[in-house]
Amino acid sequence: MSTDSFLTISDLSAGYGDARVLHGVNLSVGRGEICAILGPNGAGKTTLLRALSGAVWTRGSVRLDGAGLARRSPDAIARRGVAHVPEGRGTFMPLTVEENLRLGAFTRRGRGEVEADLDRIHGYFPVLKTRLRQVAGSLSGGEQQMLAIGRALMSRPRLLLLDEPSLGLAPLVTRELFRIVRTINEQERTTVVVVEQNAHLALDIAQQAHVLESGRIVLSGSADEIRADEQVAQSYLGYRV
Amino acid sequence: MAGFLQQLVEGLGAGAVYASLALALVLIYQFTGIVNFAQGEMAMFSTYIAWQFTVAGLPFWLALVLTLAVSFAGGMLIERIVIRPVEGAPELTVVIVTVGLFIFVNAAAGWIWTFLIKDFPNPFPGGAVEAGGLSVGYSTLGVLAVVAVVMGLLYLLFQHTKVGLGMRAVAANPDSARLVGIRVGWMLALGWGLAATVGAVSGILVAPLLFLEPNMMGGVLIYAFAAATLGGFDSPAGAVAGGLTVGVAETLAGAYVGFIGSDLKVGVPLAIILFVLLLRPQGLFGRAVVERV
Repeated sequence: MSTDSFLTISDLSAGYGDARVLHGVNLSVGRGEICAILGPNGAGKTTLLRALSGAVWTRGSVRLDGAGLARRSPDAIARRGVAHVPEGRGTFMPLTVEENLRLGAFTRRGRGEVEADLDRIHGYFPVLKTRLRQVAGSLSGGEQQMLAIGRALMSRPRLLLLDEPSLGLAPLVTRELFRIVRTINEQERTTVVVVEQNAHLALDIAQQAHVLESGRIVLSGSADEIRADEQVAQSYLGYRV
Repeated sequence: MAGFLQQLVEGLGAGAVYASLALALVLIYQFTGIVNFAQGEMAMFSTYIAWQFTVAGLPFWLALVLTLAVSFAGGMLIERIVIRPVEGAPELTVVIVTVGLFIFVNAAAGWIWTFLIKDFPNPFPGGAVEAGGLSVGYSTLGVLAVVAVVMGLLYLLFQHTKVGLGMRAVAANPDSARLVGIRVGWMLALGWGLAATVGAVSGILVAPLLFLEPNMMGGVLIYAFAAATLGGFDSPAGAVAGGLTVGVAETLAGAYVGFIGSDLKVGVPLAIILFVLLLRPQGLFGRAVVERV
């Protein structure tokens, strides 16, 4: 565990209606770190991210840089610097690429900064620059994922939540995407929590990793430790050590 | 030929009124997926407020501005108090709530102002522009101009302001809108406020042509439904195009189809609703909803 814990989750339970999905999750993420959440389908990985961004009911505590986030509304949490790129990307399909990006900066003031950030996003994702006037619905899956991440970055997030960024993308596109996420993390010191089925990719860019099963953390450690764990290797990496 | 053009112009004038109420319907449908059956009654109530202001001695245009402001606030309040509790409820529940709102507003207007008809001042001068055998009344021109201005303002709001962008984001994807920090509830209330304001304009345009009474918008609402159905319930530009088309179709049918005349004119919008739903349910400018499973 990092000494300087930026995101601290204590005894967090969460779910939908009567169904409790998370059962007392504890974990912490250091400032500027990438943290990977691994686990089988239905383990509660997506619910964990949704609990962090306020989209489901929660019990327990979530602290970002000391300030409580739990039980605030999603829009209030977003305004406190949490950017959630949901599963399925959540782009505004009928709106143009540029409008999608500008919506990322919706809660910010200062026009000049927003323009500068648009340039910054174009630097990470040059393909978006050529598509600014197109509606988001016309983009390919990979471009939409880039747009979703670009939109999240437009809010200058303190915490970036990525839910299955590789879903439905070709392997080459996925690799490129993860390379960019690592670049963003290195250049902007943005703390990242990434949920990912593709454990190899996630462990390659993460410093910390946690394995979630049936709504509980069953294993935590550095990315290298998790990679070396025999159980994980069998379940998620597809080979024996 | 001149007679035909004359009918066409009359039709456009009538259509502009339908277009403005259809615009109000579409504004609410876009943001909330709710078909607001009370839209006409809200417009009627706003018109009574305008009448009250003019009776109190205010000049017409000042009364108009005040009425629009009151309508905007009233629309937001209705969303917060009446609609918010049934947000996310099954469609039928919401429909019944707006029908209830219809009856409530209608009865409230009758209770406050009685069901006796009242004269409503026409803001436009009488007389007409004569050109090439064509006579276009100032009030027809005025109505068309007002609807054009309303359209233009809405366009500016939605395409060139940050609030407008936020409202379109809510219409496109409310969950994602929350994730970028937009207060979705307020945007929905804003949508209802805008719709009530646009509706108030249509009521004030209708009142001088008919008379002011609590049931005056009933017929107009049917035309507005036809306009919105024809143009597509999710397209503001479609609502206006639909309104103008319905107005022209109704006028031409009344003038040239012998058995329709002025008595059966109200059948025209109903026939339009029926045929659009049969042939192209999403309307001319609407997007077909595809449910992906």
